Amino acid sequence: MGLREFVIRRLVQLVFTFWAFFTILFVLFRMVPGDPTSMFLLDGMTAEQREQRIAELGLDQPLHIQYINYIEQLLTGDFGQSFIYREPVIDIIVVRFMNTIVLMGTALVIAYLIGVTFGALMGWWRGSRFERGGIVVTLVARSSPEFWVGIVLLSVFVFWLGWFPSSGMRATGGDLGGGFVQRYGSLDFLRHLFLPALTGAIVYLATPTLLMRSTMLDVLKADFIEIKKAEGLPERTVLYKHAARNSVLPLVTVMAIATGAAMGGSVVIETVFNWPGMGREMVRSVNNNDYPVAMAAFFLMGSVVIIMNFVADLAYVYLDPRVEYE
Amino acid sequence: MSLLEITDLQTYYRAEGGWVRATDGVSLSLDHGETIGLVGESGSGKTTLAKSIIRLFPDNAEIHGGSIEFDGTEITELSSKELRNRIRWKEISMIPQNAMNGFDPVYTVGEQIMQVIRHHEDGTSKAEARTRARELFDDLGIDPDRIDDYPHQFSGGMAQRAMIALALALEPQLMLADEPTTALDVVIQDRILETIKAKQEAIDSAMIMITHDMSVVSETCDRIAVVYGGRVVEIADAETIIMNPRHPYTLGLRNAFPDISSEDEELISIPGTPPNLVDPEEGCRFAPRCPFAEEECWSVTPEPQSYGDGHIVECHRADEVELLQEEAGKKETWMEQDLGKPEELSTDGGEPQTGRSTDGLEGDHE
Amino acid sequence: MSTQTPSRAERLADGLERRFDRFRDGLSVFKGDRLGQIGVGLLVMFVFVGIFARPTTIEFLNITIPGIAPHDPTERAVGGRLESPSAAHPLGTTDRGRDVFSQLLVGTRVTLLVGSLAAFMAVFIGTNVGLISAYFGGWVDDLLMRITDIVYAVPFLPFAIVLVAIIGSSIVNIIAAIVLILWRSTARVIRAQVLSHKNRPYVESAEAIGASDVRIMYRHILPNVLPLAFLYAAFAVGWAVIAEASLSFLGFGDPNMLSWGEMIFSVYNADAVRVAWWWVFPPGIAITLFVMSVFFVGRTLEKVVNPELRHKE
Repeated sequence: MGLREFVIRRLVQLVFTFWAFFTILFVLFRMVPGDPTSMFLLDGMTAEQREQRIAELGLDQPLHIQYINYIEQLLTGDFGQSFIYREPVIDIIVVRFMNTIVLMGTALVIAYLIGVTFGALMGWWRGSRFERGGIVVTLVARSSPEFWVGIVLLSVFVFWLGWFPSSGMRATGGDLGGGFVQRYGSLDFLRHLFLPALTGAIVYLATPTLLMRSTMLDVLKADFIEIKKAEGLPERTVLYKHAARNSVLPLVTVMAIATGAAMGGSVVIETVFNWPGMGREMVRSVNNNDYPVAMAAFFLMGSVVIIMNFVADLAYVYLDPRVEYE
Repeated sequence: MSLLEITDLQTYYRAEGGWVRATDGVSLSLDHGETIGLVGESGSGKTTLAKSIIRLFPDNAEIHGGSIEFDGTEITELSSKELRNRIRWKEISMIPQNAMNGFDPVYTVGEQIMQVIRHHEDGTSKAEARTRARELFDDLGIDPDRIDDYPHQFSGGMAQRAMIALALALEPQLMLADEPTTALDVVIQDRILETIKAKQEAIDSAMIMITHDMSVVSETCDRIAVVYGGRVVEIADAETIIMNPRHPYTLGLRNAFPDISSEDEELISIPGTPPNLVDPEEGCRFAPRCPFAEEECWSVTPEPQSYGDGHIVECHRADEVELLQEEAGKKETWMEQDLGKPEELSTDGGEPQTGRSTDGLEGDHE
Repeated sequence: MSTQTPSRAERLADGLERRFDRFRDGLSVFKGDRLGQIGVGLLVMFVFVGIFARPTTIEFLNITIPGIAPHDPTERAVGGRLESPSAAHPLGTTDRGRDVFSQLLVGTRVTLLVGSLAAFMAVFIGTNVGLISAYFGGWVDDLLMRITDIVYAVPFLPFAIVLVAIIGSSIVNIIAAIVLILWRSTARVIRAQVLSHKNRPYVESAEAIGASDVRIMYRHILPNVLPLAFLYAAFAVGWAVIAEASLSFLGFGDPNMLSWGEMIFSVYNADAVRVAWWWVFPPGIAITLFVMSVFFVGRTLEKVVNPELRHKE
């Protein structure tokens, strides 16, 4: 099978996965006990208002029609109205989604950069104190839930040392307005970003580090490493250009899983640091029965994971010339 | 003056039980353009011996003593940086057993040849290096356009040719060929060996051919060194080793390849396994497996004895050559028998250490 | 059991012996592994504390074993408000004067319950899915693996939040939410492992003597992939505990059961993180220690499953 066919096949699979995910969402948000329409309604409505509202939302239609309408709405980016904000969900969620991507993206990039480097060195210096210590440190970090790491960092760097602000995204407030540069392009923003991003980085460090280390150990046994050494290439070249370059391949496949973990982690980290992102918004909306917002947030998180899976597969094909398009 | 002069070389591995003496007091010399074969079973120490020359062994190994003089330079005293920049590949290159695994799978073969050229020859442009890689391919009968292919796109024989191209890239004075043909099928084996010989002569490079296959060395080598238990137990010119060996181990190895002894004989293999090389005891290391071992063999380590023309043997019974050669040809001689240490000696000397090899530490992949 | 042969007893004895050897082999790995020993030691401690945290009555012997916890963790005003640690309250008190130390000890129970139950069920489902998928292949495999792919697309914690919010926060629902996601990794690994066993001689000979599919799957193949399942169970315990703690921290925990995550949620709600270090640090450290101990044990088990790893250390 050629590359083109592989991409097409993966695209078909992508569409299928999206459809299945849509359906799970549809079922999930109609599982509320009692009257399935109750959650979409606000208290204190007259019977008439209620009827009208149900008709507006299309909830008086048969289930399959509702299902088709629902898919149609998702595809057009129409998530309905927020019960609390009384605004279109899409307007509320997009800006928060960006904030989440900036935060968790930073955390993941740091985690992978440090993880790949440390994992490679741990493999290279196998049996050393550095390696043994590294394993324990990464395992302990991975054993801590995100909120706990966040609280420890808060206690040390904010409450004790007072180096960083405790919450939010900007000192001046207005976390949700302004253009891209205005929102993310200031020193003040970076000061706010530091601790939550570090929290994520610490927790997500373990997977790339440990995986990198164990693949390094396998790769270092390969004949070509010995040949590269025999070629008289500097250790650095053998380590980074050959050993690490080959070991990085399996990391690409766990990238999608890491993104999934990070999407879940955003819920917790944003709550701890009061970060104006989608995760915190999701907790808030679930607590307030603002289901359209909760659903949109959940939908976006899942979409990111699905797309990352797809990207990871394509990246793997690109990075490994040996790959067979199965 | 010879190109390579190894004197009393000792390469040891640190292991749980002590030092593994993978190479234990080996002396060897090699002239310009000469080919020497290192023959022995896996675990005999032949690979360690060859790789010691360019210090290519794991972190837990070290050169414990002895000297390696290469082209007038004492290379055991070079720093690892000097060794990398002056000796490795530029002067001494390698042809591995399985070429397919010898190339990094994520770069094209051409990229890897160009990398080594440009690393060792400062100021070589990418284009020049590329032209040279193409020429090397052409020389070895590979389509030059294939330098842009990845290793996995080559067949086994083709990959081995590409590996030879890589080994020749800097026209080294010495090549270490580690079982260069065992991974290939028989028809291709001969062609690859011919190619190696021809190219070696063209650039007047010496070669150390590591193999467990007597037929390979008989075709390609000027001299042959038989390695057992970390020592060279017999060394002579190729013809002498094939036709007139004196060491029982050489005789045993020869039996395992019928095409070089008489044709209608069946294969006879040497019973037992290579010795444990952790702090070996006094005595001949082959004694536990030797059908001719006598009391002296168990207690006294044999000294090298010279039989003229550079034929050196480490065996107490090497003088009884006719008897050994005759008996060694018979299958019964090598039947698994009670080859244990004589009773009266085992009380003070303990068990002979047999049954464990060096745990594949030296990287033989047979 | 229609195919009884005279050698059945022998084979059984042989099988038992092999299993015993494997078990001993497994134990010997712990011998040389300090992290594994630490893990087991901590786990034993947690289980002990979990069982004996509160007074236990054994009815038919008519004895009551006193609990380790000095106070009822939910009883208010056993001490003053937000008292720092003292002899009477080794870990101080909460904003409502509850004893933090007692809460910490009793909180072990939820952790043990969620960890063991969720991990067991997730691995049970995952192992069966992997086994069935790999053994039957074809459309069964396709279907089950597509389902697994889809579950991989669902973000764990957000899913659990939404599900628990909709069907209600009880310990059972929390475990269900965790299990619904957590089985996916086991399914993939077990499937790969079964695929490598499917064509081995022992399976073919079982087929040859006419063993049923179910028998081949569960009597012949399963014992060989079980160590791997145990390994994933160890890791699943860790993930389940982290998930429960995170849910509780966000306020979606079972309101009737005290857990470590919920303790930290209360600190947050009382806005006391800055002042009451004795209230926020112990449960956090306890979570880390517990998860760490199962990960350490898991790492050691990994060496039993994959002996090659022993040389990597």
